Amino acid sequence: MNPRNMFCGRTRREFLWQAGGGFTSLGLVDMLSRDGFFSGSRPSDDPNAGPLAPKPPHHAPKAKACIFLFMYGGPSHVDTFDYKPKLYPLDGKTIDIQTKGRGGSKSKGRVVGPKWKFSQYGESGRWISDLFPHVGRYVDDMAFIHSMYADSPLHGSAMLMMNSGRILSGAPCLGSWVNYGLGTENQNLPGFVVMLDKTGGPISGAKNWHSGYMPAVYQGTVLRPTGEPILDLDVPNGMSDREQRRILDALREQNEAHLSHRSEDTTLAARIQSYELAYRMQSHAPEAIDIANESASTKTLYGLDDPRTEDFGRKCLLARRMVERGVRFVQVYSGGNHNDHNWDAHGDLEHNHSKHAGATDKPIAALLADLKQRGLLDETIVVWGGEFGRQPTAEYAQGTGRDHNSAGFTMWMAGGGIKKGVALGKTDELGNAAVERPLHVKELHATILHQMGLDPNRLSFFHAGLDQKLVGVEPVKPIRELIA
Amino acid sequence: MMTRRLICALPVLALTVASAQEPRRSGGEWWAYQPLKRPEAPAVRDASWVRSPIDAFVLAGLEERGMRPAPEADRHTILRRVTYDLTGLPPTQDEIDAFLADDSPDAYEKVVDRLLASPQHGVKWAQHWLDVVRYAETDGYERDSKKPFVWRYRDWVVDALNADMPYRDFVTKQLAGDELPDATVADHVATGFYRLGIWDDEPTDRQQHRYDVLDGIADTAARATLAISMGCARCHDHKKDPLPQKDYHSFLGYFENIAPYNKQSRTIPADGAREKFEAASATFAIESKRCRDELMRVAYERLAAKGGAAEGAAPRVVARYDGDVASATALLDESGEHDGKVFGQVVQVPGRKGQALRFDGDDFCRIPRVVEDSFSVSFFVRSDQPGRGNVRDKRWFTGTGLVDGEIPGIVDDWGVSWIAEGVIAAGTGRPEKFVSSAAGYNDGEWHHVAFTRDRRSGKLALFVDGQMAGETVGSKRPLRTPEDLVIGRARPGGEGFRGDLDEITFYDRALSAAEVAALALELPGGVAAAAAIDGTSALKQLSRLRAPEFETVELLAVREHGRDAPEPIVRLRGNVHARGPQVPLGVPGMLGEAKLFAPAPTRQSSGRRLALARWITTEDNRMTWRVIANRVWQHHFGRGIVRSSNDFGRLGDRPTHPQLLDWLACEVLDREQSLKSMHRLIVTSSTYRMSSDADERGLAKDPLNDAFWRFDRRRLTAEEIRDSILAANGTLNLERGGPSIYPQLPQAVLDTASRPGSAWGRSSPEQAARRSIYVHVKRSLPEPLLASFDRADTDSSCPVRFATVQPTQALSMVNGDFANLQAELFAQRLRRDTKGLRAQLARGLELVSQRPARRDDVARLVKLAADLQADFGRSEKQALQRCCLVLLNCNEFIFLD
Repeated sequence: MNPRNMFCGRTRREFLWQAGGGFTSLGLVDMLSRDGFFSGSRPSDDPNAGPLAPKPPHHAPKAKACIFLFMYGGPSHVDTFDYKPKLYPLDGKTIDIQTKGRGGSKSKGRVVGPKWKFSQYGESGRWISDLFPHVGRYVDDMAFIHSMYADSPLHGSAMLMMNSGRILSGAPCLGSWVNYGLGTENQNLPGFVVMLDKTGGPISGAKNWHSGYMPAVYQGTVLRPTGEPILDLDVPNGMSDREQRRILDALREQNEAHLSHRSEDTTLAARIQSYELAYRMQSHAPEAIDIANESASTKTLYGLDDPRTEDFGRKCLLARRMVERGVRFVQVYSGGNHNDHNWDAHGDLEHNHSKHAGATDKPIAALLADLKQRGLLDETIVVWGGEFGRQPTAEYAQGTGRDHNSAGFTMWMAGGGIKKGVALGKTDELGNAAVERPLHVKELHATILHQMGLDPNRLSFFHAGLDQKLVGVEPVKPIRELIA
Repeated sequence: MMTRRLICALPVLALTVASAQEPRRSGGEWWAYQPLKRPEAPAVRDASWVRSPIDAFVLAGLEERGMRPAPEADRHTILRRVTYDLTGLPPTQDEIDAFLADDSPDAYEKVVDRLLASPQHGVKWAQHWLDVVRYAETDGYERDSKKPFVWRYRDWVVDALNADMPYRDFVTKQLAGDELPDATVADHVATGFYRLGIWDDEPTDRQQHRYDVLDGIADTAARATLAISMGCARCHDHKKDPLPQKDYHSFLGYFENIAPYNKQSRTIPADGAREKFEAASATFAIESKRCRDELMRVAYERLAAKGGAAEGAAPRVVARYDGDVASATALLDESGEHDGKVFGQVVQVPGRKGQALRFDGDDFCRIPRVVEDSFSVSFFVRSDQPGRGNVRDKRWFTGTGLVDGEIPGIVDDWGVSWIAEGVIAAGTGRPEKFVSSAAGYNDGEWHHVAFTRDRRSGKLALFVDGQMAGETVGSKRPLRTPEDLVIGRARPGGEGFRGDLDEITFYDRALSAAEVAALALELPGGVAAAAAIDGTSALKQLSRLRAPEFETVELLAVREHGRDAPEPIVRLRGNVHARGPQVPLGVPGMLGEAKLFAPAPTRQSSGRRLALARWITTEDNRMTWRVIANRVWQHHFGRGIVRSSNDFGRLGDRPTHPQLLDWLACEVLDREQSLKSMHRLIVTSSTYRMSSDADERGLAKDPLNDAFWRFDRRRLTAEEIRDSILAANGTLNLERGGPSIYPQLPQAVLDTASRPGSAWGRSSPEQAARRSIYVHVKRSLPEPLLASFDRADTDSSCPVRFATVQPTQALSMVNGDFANLQAELFAQRLRRDTKGLRAQLARGLELVSQRPARRDDVARLVKLAADLQADFGRSEKQALQRCCLVLLNCNEFIFLD
């Protein structure tokens, strides 16, 4: 073995994966055994670092963290942020239009005029519907992409696309890539947390925050806003912290006695260490979700005093607290379960979107305001959007429900070095498909990685014979027009 | 089970493919693509260490590096190691005692034989294979539906390994069990292999997704059996290996005729069912004929007595399509009032009477809705086709329509159809009610069918050959939903009926049993002759006869479209719509001059997969035997001789001991491909029996243990950890097989599902304590404990698991409900087993480490228990529970020396 590749008597790869809190498989070595396994990403230089230790980025980052507000189900862009005046007078008229959604491909459709009025906001004068008056106040901090498109207009595959870049199940999620590429600054908290809707997870459940072919350590941790924040974090009923400490001390002594005859084995030592990390997490994570010390005005700002906004507001507030504590990637779901429990407005658009926008508008505005006032917005990218948008036409013979639309929809970003008060791309005059500067989900992903200091075309993980990347095989450029 | 000899005798032609277009490419110099040759075991200096040639290969390498093998592990260690390796479980106290007491020189070998004979051996080793084939029990995506009967495949793998099925058969049956002559149910079950992957029931591009699924199959099959990264050549030529894109598509051709998965199980005859059914049918036929003959005799006698005149109010014929009057475009009603239209190529063939209508699956006729209130439809049918759907679900609309007014949804419709295995079914909608016959009417003979419906009572009855097959009560509404009726196809489209229909007659009321019998017997005068037989004992007898049932098994298995498979073409950039040039069916050229097998089509399939399986399992295949030898080695030593056990190509690792690998591969062949024999060979070697203790020189020279100078310590797998916890507290339930179990999950985990209330099942505590291989594998909701200890991700083939150490594992093992409950059960067991805290703790230590408790370890726990009582007010019972929690978290428990 070439000594150049050795760290304290171990090879670099063994070191990376076996060191404290790290991985311990010799079998794993097969996947790491080529030089340059980590060439695309950034292994830590700290010999005692675990897999989540902070790793230097590829380039100086603009953003340290990302908060992804996931509007699950697919919000209608023409009723929220993509103003289409020509759509109103067409309400109820059947027109020739090519659409593809849950109901298959159609060449005719009955237009559903936007159900909300649009007004101009801010100095940039962007048009925003009455669904988001609070968010509208921060329009000059936001960058809209009106020309998003995705590979699938069906929830199952579209969710996987937005979260993992592929419509085929099995790839790690955006948060996992960030976690893998950068590690976490706070070892006492997970690097990638997900907050789900109280009605349940999105379809495909854990696949939406899974680490796919990467080790499970990179997957998202579900964080609950009340009670036990992380699975199995609470000390068992009736046991005091001191008592548990006593028990863990006995365990450590037991394991150290075992280790004394096997002192070369870093894995055994790592496992001893993992109990200490877990113990520390027990005291830090509850603190992270304890909002008792937040001021009354902050709580009001997030809408915690209103039952409509309380739930999402609390999650937005927690997202800020997570970012403050060094968590890299926070995903907050608006909507869960099925049908009208999320933005999937197939039946009654007005009812559905009033409900979900009503629950999120104020909290999202609060999050932007709060991050801004704390100087965190500059280093935190906030992303808003669903897995797709909705069609300008009705899905059924009656009603205002719209079918899915992946050919054109809107997402917006704010903070983290993203240009302020701009809008990019256009859909056609009915909002049916992206026609100007169409931007794929991969380009959104590339932009987020880039802002966080990672080169989307270099960040790779070797699996099944390939240096796998979030953005796929073909190089993908970040969206330059949006980068400040 | 099919024996090796039988498989060898398959009627598949071996032929050497003449290089038609171009010379076949070779794999170049790369080690894996060279023909397999048996190496000589090298000479070594310390011959006393050598128990088998394995040791000679290993020791020669060590001596060359100036290293020495570690000393032999002590008896406790080796027993624990080999018991986990071969069964995934710790040795019991009795097993430890017996081994320690056995002074005979072959005491260890006896243990190995005992373990290999244990049914738990298959349970342990099946999981290794299940990882490679990405075994999961749901489809993934939005609905993440359960794969029906997928567990039969898991059980098949367990059983095959326990039966020490030769590896050739093990591979062949999974790839092509259905194409074997006289395939058994188990052979079909093995092809469940094809249905394990992810599947989107609502894909955005159905064709592309179909090929994504096929890619998953081809890639997994290639990685599993050949260790080549086939999938890398889907869109372009392989970057490193001489595997051009067209070789990928040639290879894909072996699988392209597979009918897409559709969530459906298949139902096939149980083993021996056909014989049983045929015997019963023969008896039935004799009985039935006797009754008919008698009826016939009575009828003619009575008819003769009355001068041939029938009596009674005859039902009116509403419409009648007898097959004699049809044109290419019109199906003519006898009366001319209700003519129908012909779609496709319905042809006339000699029928039951005059001409009959022949349907070829694509053809059908439409006739007006001639009936809607009380009615009967009577016809003769003849087919040797199985029909659509499956015999567990005999609702009429799942079959191919014979005479049908089916409209999807719960509406006022009705129909008579032909279901799998020759079942005839009929029913009405709103509410869905149906009646069905026994199986087996697909015998190529004419059968009379009558379906009667009385609107006032709602009564429905189905008669086959004059006998009632079943009756029920259905809707009392007018059946008006279908605007017209379809003959020869189920209304919603899809595959139509294949066979002949004749004398399709509609009557304006429900016929009586006697009237139907008169039609079935073709008595002169038709229904009018019913009076002649009504009330006779022969008619009663006939109506009492029941056709025998066909014994079937429902399973998840592969099915092809038919004998004729499409010619493979290149799909440019892996895009199914970008059709490139046609390529010949074939295997990768880099694997040398291949002796290929020409597919021999069977009745239902192309025979391609069997041809592929034959090629993969020929003795001169360069990859197969090395690949399986390496996998066996991998799971004994924690790493393969080639560490990348799914990839022997240039993107993979080189073997650390190429000669040893080749020698082992040759041994696989010489030992009639018995994997148990390979296990025995390996675990009885000195190499396997080395201690895991490190020495300075070894660590300095070879920290990764490339040379095998010691045995690599390993963490238990996720399954071993959970099973061992259950074993320690004595609740482990060793029951094998059957549908999967649902250990209780924390509510917080269930809440992450999109349908929190229906995401997971419930098992009794006894069932929940079964081995982990039986825990339901749900793609969108991985069991959290197993997942955190690195159970394989099932979306792609997993050759080597991660073995991580992370704080979330510690959290679940210290705070989790499962760990705390198990610690309590452990404590209860200790209290049952022995008296006194000290003795209980000593016993606990033995149960987690399988060695006598050390005094200072016991003292440490005794001290902990005392402190918990003194400082935290715990009772002795509570203190013991907490000590047990410590025991379950010990490294000594979780790691294997």
